[in-house]
Amino acid sequence: MKKSYVIKRILYSIFVFGIVMTLNFFIPRIGVEDPAERYYPPQGNMSDIEYEIIKQVTRQQYGFDVSTWQQYLNYLTGLMEGNLGTSFRSGSPAVTDLIVDRLPWTLVLSVSTLLIGLIAGILFGVIAAMKRGRWQDTTLLNASTIMVALPGFFIALILSFYLGFEFEIFPAYTDPNMVSNFDWSLSAIQTVAENAALPVLSMAVGSIIGYAQGTRNAVIAVTNEDFILTAKAKGLKQNTIRYKHTLRNSMLPIVTSLGMSISGLIGGQVVIEQIFNWNGMGTLFLEANNMNDYPLMMGIMLLLSGFTILAILITDLIYVLLDPRVTVGDKR
Amino acid sequence: MDKVLKLRNLKVVFPSGHGIIRAVEGVDLDIHQGESVALVGESGCGKSVTSQSVMKLIESPPAMTRVDTIEFLGNDIKDYSAKQMQDIRGKDISMIFQDAMTSLNPVMTCGKQIDEMYIRHQGVSKKEAREYTIEALKLVGVPEPRSRAKNFPHELSGGMRQRVLLAMAFACMPKLIIADEPTTALDVTIQAQVLNLLRSMQKRHEMSLLLVTHDLSVVSNLADTVYVMYSGKIVEKAPVKALFQAPHHPYTVGLLASVPKLSDTEKTFSQIPGTVPHPMKKPSGCYFHPRCKFATDKCKNTMPPLTTLSENREVRCYYPLNLKKEATA
Repeated sequence: MKKSYVIKRILYSIFVFGIVMTLNFFIPRIGVEDPAERYYPPQGNMSDIEYEIIKQVTRQQYGFDVSTWQQYLNYLTGLMEGNLGTSFRSGSPAVTDLIVDRLPWTLVLSVSTLLIGLIAGILFGVIAAMKRGRWQDTTLLNASTIMVALPGFFIALILSFYLGFEFEIFPAYTDPNMVSNFDWSLSAIQTVAENAALPVLSMAVGSIIGYAQGTRNAVIAVTNEDFILTAKAKGLKQNTIRYKHTLRNSMLPIVTSLGMSISGLIGGQVVIEQIFNWNGMGTLFLEANNMNDYPLMMGIMLLLSGFTILAILITDLIYVLLDPRVTVGDKR
Repeated sequence: MDKVLKLRNLKVVFPSGHGIIRAVEGVDLDIHQGESVALVGESGCGKSVTSQSVMKLIESPPAMTRVDTIEFLGNDIKDYSAKQMQDIRGKDISMIFQDAMTSLNPVMTCGKQIDEMYIRHQGVSKKEAREYTIEALKLVGVPEPRSRAKNFPHELSGGMRQRVLLAMAFACMPKLIIADEPTTALDVTIQAQVLNLLRSMQKRHEMSLLLVTHDLSVVSNLADTVYVMYSGKIVEKAPVKALFQAPHHPYTVGLLASVPKLSDTEKTFSQIPGTVPHPMKKPSGCYFHPRCKFATDKCKNTMPPLTTLSENREVRCYYPLNLKKEATA
C-alpha cells in the first residue's frame, strides 16, 4: 500500500514537471515581439536591409529561425542534456553555466538561514508553548506581531547600518573578490562566513520567529487533544508525553511549511542579495530581467519549478513516515 | 468492604474572562472494593470534572481545585506531588475515555500505546511489553492480536479501538477504573459487547468502577450505587435498584421519565422543562427550582442540604417524592 503510494506520488510529480516545462517554454512566446528585436533593438544609423540581416543572423544563432514546434523539440532535447539554452548576454554563455556558478552562493545563504531558522525556531516555539502565557510566550507573540509589520529588507538595512557601518562587526558589503578568490582554504571559508553573516542574520530573524510561532501554535493545539489526556491518565512521565506524543504530532504542520519554503532556497532573496551585494540567484534573476535575457529567465524559472515540485514530493514522502493516516485515501 | 476511594468536599472552579464557572461544588464520593458507582447527569453538570479530579488530571491553572480529602486505598493523595501521581495513574487508577478515535495517538501503533503502560509501570523491556500487550488484547477479545497491535488507530473499527482502550486501562490491573462515557461513541450492538466485557473484567479482578455517564440503561446494567449530579452538586445517592424503583429527587424522576421505552405508545418524548442553568448564572436556592413543578418559596431562597433518608439513600430536596413507594417496595 505504501509502495504504491510512493510510486504514484513520483509519477504525479513527473507529470506536473512535464506541464511546467511546456508552459515555461510557451508562455514567453505568447505575444512577445520578435525575440531578435528584443536582443538587438533597431539603431538609427542602420538601413532596413542591414537590420534584417542582423536579425536573421541573430535568429539563426539562437535557434529562432525554425518553427515553434521544432524549437520546442530542440528545447526538450537540450533539457535532456542539461542544456538550458544560451544567454543573451555578451559572450553568449550557456544558461546552465551561469546558474551553476551562482547557485552555490545562494545555497550558502539559504541553507544556513533554513537550518538556523528551523532549529532555533522549533526550540523557541516549544519553550513558548510550555511557558504558555508567561513572559517567554508573550515575547514571542510580540516579536511575531512586529515581524509582520517589518519587511525583511528593513531588518537588513538596520543590521547593515548598525552591525556593518556603525560597529563594523561584520562586513556591510560583500567583498567583490570573495567568489574569485575562493579556493576551499580555511581563510577563504572564514571570509565567506563573515560576509554571509549579515544577510543570513537578516533572513534568519524572520525565519526563526515564523517557525517558532508555527511550532508554538501546533504544540498547543496538540496539547489540547484527547490523546494527550489519555497519555497523562496512563501515568507517563512528562518528558515521554512531550517527546513521544506531543512533538511528533506537532511536527506535521512544520513539515508542510518547510516544504513550501524550499523553492525560496533556490530562488534566492532578490532584495537581500542586492542590499549586501551578494552574487547569488536573486541577483542573476534581476540581471536577466533587466536585460530582457529570457533564455536565462526561462532557465531560472524551470529550475525553481523543478525544485518546488521536488520539495513537495519530498514533503509528501516525509509525511508518510510521520503520519500513517496519509496513505488511507490511497486504499480506496 | 474496604473503601477504595473516599472523596470529601471537592470543589473545582474555572475562572474565565466573564466570571467564575463553578463546575463542581462540594462533591462527596465513596467507592468500595469491587463496587461500581455511576455518576449520572446531563452534559455540563460537572461529572467529568469530578472523575478527572480523582486522578488529579484537571490542569491548574486554569482550574482551581479545593478538596478536603482524596483518600485512595487509605492514603490521602490530596497533597501528592505530580511525580507521585504519575506513579498512581495507570497503575492503580486508570481511565477509559469516551471517544477512542481521538483518545488514541493517531501516529503511534495501538500496540505501542499499550506497551507504554508496561514499560512505564512494570519496568519491562520493549519486547516483553509487547508480549504482555498481545495477552491484554487477547483478553479483551481482539482477534489476531499480534497483527492488530501493529495497526494504527485509524485502521481499526470503533469497537476495536474501544477494546484497545480497555486493554490499556486493564493493563496493570488497577484497583479503580474510571470510565468516562465509555460507550457513547459506539453502535448499540458494540455498546453491549463493550459493557459486558467491562463488567466481566471488573468482577473477575474485583476492581472498583467509577462510571460517568448520562445513559441510564448503562447505569441499570452496570452500577451498584448511583450518584445523580445536577449543576455541580450531588442531588441524590441511592443503590441502583432503589433509585429506579423510587426516585426521590424531582430531577431524578424527570431523568428516568425521559428515557424512551419501547412500550410507549405516545408519540412525544417526556422531557424536563427548561434547560440546565448556565454555570455562571446559577439560580438562588435549589439549582433545580426553576424547572421543578413542586418548587415553593423555600426552594427559591435556600439550597436544601443533602439529607440521609435511610441507609445508602441521600437526597438534596425539601420535599422528596416517592417516599411511600420505597416503603412498600
